[in-house]
Amino acid sequence: MFTDHKNKSFKWCLLVSFLLVNIVMHAQERKVTGKITSSEDLLGLPGANVYIKNSSVGASADMDGNYTVIVGEKNAVLVFNFVGFQTVEIPVGTKSVINVSLKPDTKALDEVIVVGYGTRKKSDITGSVSSVTAKELTAFPLLNAEQALQGRAAGVSVMTNNGGEPGAPVKIRVRGGTSINASGDALIVVDGFAGASMPAPQDIASIEVLKDASATAIYGSRGSNGVIMVTTKKGKPGKPVIEFSNSTSVQSVNNKLHLLNADQFAAYRKSFTTHTQGPANTDWQDVIYRDGMISNSQLSFSGGAENVRYYVSGTYFNQNGVVINSGIDKYTIVGNLEADLTPKFKVGLNTFTSKQNKEGIVSQTSAGGTGAAGVIASAYRFMPDKGIYNADGTYTTTAPIGDDIDNPYATAMENILETISVTSRNNFFAQYQITKDLDFKTTLGLTDSNSQTGRFIPSTLIAGKNIKGEASVNNTRFSSFLTENYLTFKREIIDRGILTVLGGYSYQKNKNENSYAASRGFLTNTNSYRNLGAGTVFLKPDSGLSETELISAFGRLNFDYADKYLLTFTARRDGSSSFSKNYKYGTFPSGAIGWNISKENFLKDNKTISNLKLRASYGATGNPSIGAYSTLSRFSEIYYVSGDVITNAVQLTSLDNPNLKWETSYQQDYGIDLGLFDNRISITADYYKTITKDLLFNRPLPGISGIASQLQNVGELENKGWELGINSRNFIGADFTWSTNFNISSNKNKVLKLADNKDLLINSAPGHFLATESQILRVGQPVGSFFGFIYDGVIQQGETVLPGNFETAAGGEKFRDYNGDGKLDSQDKTIIGNPNPDFIFGFNNDFTYKNLDLNIFFQGSQGGQILNYTLMELASGNNNATTEVLDAWTPTNTDTNVPANAARTKRITSRFVYDGSYIRLKNVSIGYSLDEKIVSKMGLSKVRFYISAQNLWTITDYPGTDPETNYLNDTNSRSNTNLGLDYGGYPNVRTFTAGFNIKF
Amino acid sequence: MKKYIAFLCFGTMAFFSCSDLEEKPVGIIRPENFFNNTDDLQAAVNGAFANIGHNNYWGREFTIALMLRDDMSDIGDRTTQAARIDVNDMSMNDTNALVANFWPQSYVIITAANQAIEGAKKTPGDPAKVNAIVAQAYFARAFAYYHLVRLFGDIPYVDFVVNDVNQVNSLGKTKEADVYPKIIADLEFAKQWLDDKPKVKAVPGKGTAAGYLASVYLTLGNFQKAYDEAKFVITNEAKFGLGLDADFQDLFNATKTASLKEPLFTIDFNNLTSGNYGQDYTAFFTGSLKDDSYSYGQGFSVAVPSLKVFNTWDQRDYRRAVSFDTIIRKKTGPGGSLQVYPSSDNEKAPRPHIAKYFRFPGKAGANGRTSQHNYITMRFAEVLLTAAEALNEINPGTTEADGYVNRVRARARNKAGKLVSFPANVTPGLSQADFRKMVIDERRLELAFEYVRWYDIKRLKIGPEVFGPNGLEPHANFDPNRDYLWPLPGTELAINPNLKPNNPGY
Repeated sequence: MFTDHKNKSFKWCLLVSFLLVNIVMHAQERKVTGKITSSEDLLGLPGANVYIKNSSVGASADMDGNYTVIVGEKNAVLVFNFVGFQTVEIPVGTKSVINVSLKPDTKALDEVIVVGYGTRKKSDITGSVSSVTAKELTAFPLLNAEQALQGRAAGVSVMTNNGGEPGAPVKIRVRGGTSINASGDALIVVDGFAGASMPAPQDIASIEVLKDASATAIYGSRGSNGVIMVTTKKGKPGKPVIEFSNSTSVQSVNNKLHLLNADQFAAYRKSFTTHTQGPANTDWQDVIYRDGMISNSQLSFSGGAENVRYYVSGTYFNQNGVVINSGIDKYTIVGNLEADLTPKFKVGLNTFTSKQNKEGIVSQTSAGGTGAAGVIASAYRFMPDKGIYNADGTYTTTAPIGDDIDNPYATAMENILETISVTSRNNFFAQYQITKDLDFKTTLGLTDSNSQTGRFIPSTLIAGKNIKGEASVNNTRFSSFLTENYLTFKREIIDRGILTVLGGYSYQKNKNENSYAASRGFLTNTNSYRNLGAGTVFLKPDSGLSETELISAFGRLNFDYADKYLLTFTARRDGSSSFSKNYKYGTFPSGAIGWNISKENFLKDNKTISNLKLRASYGATGNPSIGAYSTLSRFSEIYYVSGDVITNAVQLTSLDNPNLKWETSYQQDYGIDLGLFDNRISITADYYKTITKDLLFNRPLPGISGIASQLQNVGELENKGWELGINSRNFIGADFTWSTNFNISSNKNKVLKLADNKDLLINSAPGHFLATESQILRVGQPVGSFFGFIYDGVIQQGETVLPGNFETAAGGEKFRDYNGDGKLDSQDKTIIGNPNPDFIFGFNNDFTYKNLDLNIFFQGSQGGQILNYTLMELASGNNNATTEVLDAWTPTNTDTNVPANAARTKRITSRFVYDGSYIRLKNVSIGYSLDEKIVSKMGLSKVRFYISAQNLWTITDYPGTDPETNYLNDTNSRSNTNLGLDYGGYPNVRTFTAGFNIKF
Repeated sequence: MKKYIAFLCFGTMAFFSCSDLEEKPVGIIRPENFFNNTDDLQAAVNGAFANIGHNNYWGREFTIALMLRDDMSDIGDRTTQAARIDVNDMSMNDTNALVANFWPQSYVIITAANQAIEGAKKTPGDPAKVNAIVAQAYFARAFAYYHLVRLFGDIPYVDFVVNDVNQVNSLGKTKEADVYPKIIADLEFAKQWLDDKPKVKAVPGKGTAAGYLASVYLTLGNFQKAYDEAKFVITNEAKFGLGLDADFQDLFNATKTASLKEPLFTIDFNNLTSGNYGQDYTAFFTGSLKDDSYSYGQGFSVAVPSLKVFNTWDQRDYRRAVSFDTIIRKKTGPGGSLQVYPSSDNEKAPRPHIAKYFRFPGKAGANGRTSQHNYITMRFAEVLLTAAEALNEINPGTTEADGYVNRVRARARNKAGKLVSFPANVTPGLSQADFRKMVIDERRLELAFEYVRWYDIKRLKIGPEVFGPNGLEPHANFDPNRDYLWPLPGTELAINPNLKPNNPGY
């Protein structure tokens, strides 16, 4: 039984694709000349192509559109083509001069959308796809193109997971989180390379977000979180275009907390305990914040010659963060090359290289106990009556109040936390038109990403003091090999009925390697982490390797009848090495129909409705977040000391899990596309409902199994919602134009089933809060729901206090007897908030007046709640507090919600849950383009200057620093449940930018 | 013109790959092909011991609960975690966070032991050598179950390897009375096969197994066997490398424990950690807030002596000086030099503090975390007192029993090298009841804050007395029908209803 499966036909062998094309020509050569013109203006078309059909012989038209080509056989046929024009074929016969006039290709004017393994005309799309343009991506300087998607596409929510931290990872959710413990990140596909990292925003031509199952099922087991298709810029035939852009930004923290000053702090402390006021009056936020700076440049060359097109670009991004000692710089080089070896045979290469160097500070720490507080959290907590240094020159610490932590200045300046990442990606493709109807494409890509994180905690800090400094170096390396091979067949099989069939297979192998070394006990702090051997105590080193393979077959069938009736079927079968023994393969089908009503006779000539399409789709997609080897039982090496010596020890850490499979999301989508007034207004609306089954869920096991939890397929989750996008060209004049894009989307998330349908409590509070639960997973409720007591205000004098209420004296906190049993106990904890917004939206306006352009972009979120651990900590007594405590309850100030000053346990209660709704002026920019006449005199083709501001203005009631907040949601198991939390995150920033673009 | 031949040949992707999607992990140990020699077996056995030296067990969660539960230690700073206060105040419920941590950890230890015991069957080598190693796993399993059964009574008993969760997710409880014979059987196996004198005290030896058997029998009230086992240890004292160490203080000095004779078994920490392994907090929990005496910083005043314990302890007793700190030092002198203050200057817990762990933790991290302590789970003095107590029950009034107590007291008279007259030898000829009272109290003082007292209170059923109004730590709500047993974690009962009902009162 054990060896059985090896003999089965499970072996998938990827066969060699080997194409040989032999073209043999016998020639009796003569010259044919002529002129290629445009039928519209009858002007010559420089760069237009002419070639002999079924051969590699051809030529390009010169500056005036004239061409010369040598023709051999009498029955040769000349093919004339040019981008944007219809192709024309003319038999040569005996002619020696052939003039041809090409008609503009109206089809090509129809927007083309990149979908998996191909493109589709927008009018033929049956799935739900949002497009984001290059202009939107580069509206303001950003390190990550992911971030530029915020507010741009309906149903796509984007947030960094650490405020304005330079280089903070960005979290994208397409149509809500479809998982609880598995990754919710969308699959990123760059120029066909699945699982790639994002290029710089300036190098991106367009981004398409594939949202419904019809669109994503072609990516099968990786499709359920949506797919982000990125197309980088390519060269166009014609003379070289050189573009240079540069911008400089100044940043400042966009909000600070109102904290007590030294005198207020001393008075506050003295109101409930003894306190000796310190000698200083320090505003720690002022100490650690500074003006940040971004400098962002790009230089690109693009163009094309006869059969070759190229795009080469270099970008440089440098940022000094708004918190001292934090910053990043990043270099990116992109090269895209395409060559037509013959008119039928095209090869190309996309290359991407980036190097990023991030100097970090410690923030969002998972615990803030002794010596462990992050820079931001400690700037809020640290007492204002102390200075940076003691009299003897050492750094001040919080001792003797509360947990002893370093002051924020020391934490920021003394800790070293550097990450250097280098990524390279090379993706080669070859495309061959086998017959008129059949096209073959093969790609071969390699990506390699190395990252080194160096960390040093010097002896000047509490955490390093007794151990005389601790240094560590962590290296990770990710490499991926991918080949995709597919055939596309397209033919008009019946009159006006076009069949497109795609079929292919792919193989991907990923490899993760890591190594870690650390030591302690240094004589000096000057070595940083660069000399681990100089330590005296060597910590447990670590290294590891994991490999995964993904083998897939995929196919898609489109049938379009008269451009009216559209049909799409998609399926992918994925086999993954990390799937369990009994479920190595999964199949993910989807289907969609579309009806272009506006093409029907009764609407064809309608003046108002220029486009009307109905769409419906249903399909299954997967989430394969099963780590390599995680379905195998294993012994792990654990740390053990015997006789004071570290000794080998192993322990069972996982059980065999032979039946674990991927998560499957079943999504239905109903959409309508409406174009009005010659498509001056276009509206897209979608309703969807996704049910995710077989959730990959870390099910808690009975303690007596010796294993805490096991990944199992339990539970169901529902996401449903609607999206609306409106693009309107409000005003199109010669001098003045105004266009508006508006999108809004709502997603409701609900747990349908859990393991045994039992509540599951989650604790996300910082470790030193000593909380045991802060969120709950409960059937019928959204993921991430906050869980705790309901705060009912302050106990007033003479008031009877509920038995079990933690405080009994007047001025104390009062909690609600939720279950009404006459006492307060853990049974009274309930859901006290929902972090999921009711809707999110973006509202963009572009104006041009002559050479001036203006962009105003609002973005917002409504109805999501935030549990603020920062404010909870600041209200707990043993640290600085917000000015809220000035309104604390006293026998003479009773009309207040702020309890009497005291040191309190940090308890998860509704007192610290706030409305996180906001509307934000994300961007406003004004640009001026120099007059073309002046520009051309300078030998340039375009010059534009602009100034802009980001996050200039925000409307919110949120009392924390910023409603765009996240806390520790960087790992798969936390990213879906840790929503709407705020603790010691890097502050968000307001940015002013000035820049220019020059095109040669 | 010559015919012209264009021959284009292009091949794409001369690439061939076969995969059956089988995972072939490198750098990962699979249990099925692990046990190839006795070193492998020892590593599996060590998995059990490593999990004893874990934050969720001896490092923090288990020991703080045991320490607080008795009448010797109380909560110092009442803003500490509620679960700790509940254990101390007899107000536990089934969501207690300490139990939630150490209950599963106990079974992690047991699972590791079961893995090793199963693995021993596959381990090639001299059977005697294999048995000598696997005997350590039998000891570890007995150690974990002995603690569990005393705290919880009836418990699920797992002595097999779990390959599939379904093997345990409906397993019911085994009666307390049926658990003890299994513990005894494990300890008997351990006693038969363990080395006489292991190289380090972190490895159990024959004497360790016998010492624990004595303790088990004492708990069961089988005094003859308790005496026999204790006597066996005492008789073979030299052979087993055991004995009393000269200076009582050295037992609690991390830099000296490695060379002591007295421990039967130690849980070793060496100031380094890996995640929760090697984490210990006992010094941190028992040290005084605001005390800058030591380079590792102030303690946290979580567990402090019950005031009456301090007040009633004879001031002449050297063990009192070792057990308590009554002063703190603050950096308030000129140039930040240390000045002595009474411990009442710690406003959160203005009282004496436990000194056994905070005073000499060796190299320690911030606040005395991650110390170098080798915590002694049982020491020779306890074996002597067990022998004395058991013998008094079988045959009262023997000089032999007096002698065992006198050895303990004689050592206590060595006040850091200076011989003093307190505590005096036992008055010969005590009645059985007086001797019993005397020896129980001797255990209380000698083994103060060493995780023995709660079990003594429970086995002797003296809760109403010691937590009564005249007890050392009055708790008016102490309920003998409830509080001798602790609640099983509610989450476990929810997953596995066969574990219901919980212990009475929870």
